[in-house]
Amino acid sequence: MTVIETHEDERILRYRGRQRIVHAVMASSFLILLFTGLALVWGPLAFLAAGGWSRYLHRIAAVAFISVPVLYIILDRRGLKELIVESFTYDKDDFSWFRYMYRYALGRTAEMPPQGRLNAGQKLHHAAVVMFSAVIAVSGLVLWFLKADLSVTMLSLTAMIHDLSMLVLTLLLVGHIYFSYVYTAWSSMATGYVSKDDMELEHSKWVEELDHEGAEGSSS
Amino acid sequence: MASAFLLDMSRCIGCEACVVACKTGNELPIGRQYIELIEHTSGTFPNLTGGFQNHRCFHCADAACVAVCPTGALFKEDGLTRLDRDACSGCGYCVQSCPYEVPVMSDGRSSKCDGCAANVGAGGSPWCVTTCPAKALEFGDRDMILAKAKKQVAVLKDRYPNAQVYGETQLGGLGLILVLPDDPETLDIPSNPASTPVVADLWKSVVQPVSMGATVLTVAGAGVLGIIARKNHMAELREIEEKEKAGISSGDSETEEA
Repeated sequence: MTVIETHEDERILRYRGRQRIVHAVMASSFLILLFTGLALVWGPLAFLAAGGWSRYLHRIAAVAFISVPVLYIILDRRGLKELIVESFTYDKDDFSWFRYMYRYALGRTAEMPPQGRLNAGQKLHHAAVVMFSAVIAVSGLVLWFLKADLSVTMLSLTAMIHDLSMLVLTLLLVGHIYFSYVYTAWSSMATGYVSKDDMELEHSKWVEELDHEGAEGSSS
Repeated sequence: MASAFLLDMSRCIGCEACVVACKTGNELPIGRQYIELIEHTSGTFPNLTGGFQNHRCFHCADAACVAVCPTGALFKEDGLTRLDRDACSGCGYCVQSCPYEVPVMSDGRSSKCDGCAANVGAGGSPWCVTTCPAKALEFGDRDMILAKAKKQVAVLKDRYPNAQVYGETQLGGLGLILVLPDDPETLDIPSNPASTPVVADLWKSVVQPVSMGATVLTVAGAGVLGIIARKNHMAELREIEEKEKAGISSGDSETEEA
């Protein structure tokens, strides 16, 4: 019986401490940007922005948000490289994963194609976050520094692009929270550890890789 | 039914009584005013010509400020452009988009004439109209105002051949009809102000409601679906666990199968 218990408790490190710091900075700055941004465009919250302080907060958080890639490079270059490379590389299993994505969305992973460290959905999510963050950062900087030089058309267009990219990022965030809830992953970004059983189910190729690396490491 | 102001620049004597009445009536603090009198002169002494521009909101039908206002603090009502300062977030887009450079920022919020919504709503007249000693200002039904303006211009033509009505067609028709003794440019008013771009409308009327709706629906949908999906996943995990247990307890040698 003791064999089962140790097997159940086996946990593996998925997010290093420095990655968790980057995640925390990005998450908190994003949420501040979302609500202080909402105060600018939504009447019932407008009183926060009109006094000015939520607008300053928006800019402070914007600096933090834009600094996230720089922070990632400083703290964990390997982690950033892995994230970018993996998020923009898709194999056969990934494409067949997309076909059965609805099953994954409904909490059924058992028959999904085997996945690496990131599943196809996570890859696409990260890729979209990277791209739309770039769009929102550039349009935000334009609204911040070049607003006075914009024509009415350009001003509306830039504001529209800024709003639409925030819509996409917010929907991605809803999905992110959704999947981390369904797959009980909320604690992993705090502790860094996940259950090996879960990983064997959802990221079997990654677990294989880890076991292989572990075996190589111990043999050499 | 749309209302409008009549502002007869051939009668305006530049006394600034309207400025004062507006400021006191609307209880505007120091630094805020809805009307500004700007003197325009041309030529060299002693042959000077010119007049006063009574600079204030033109209440455009296709108002750029209303189109770009993200919170809806600026809106059209009764042919006039209203401003609900409580709903203003102070983004300043209206200041930048107005072709007449009317709205200004004051205390972190937009500031402009709202056609004395409170007075008119209570059955009165705008402060500037009530007080004008030269009878240059009137307020009422737009069709009536327009007819009066045309009549006045017809009379003025004898003395001022360039006399004209301004505001009948500009920007979808203005809620401020001007009687001008000369070309609008002499008072620094554009004959053909830039029209409101389509994208400005698109942002407010399509992008914003769609964004809000999509977000609310997604959050609600994810909330409901999330509970179901998590149950599914938990059941799946339990199943695997039971299989493992069964495998361990039945065939002692085959524990590695999971």
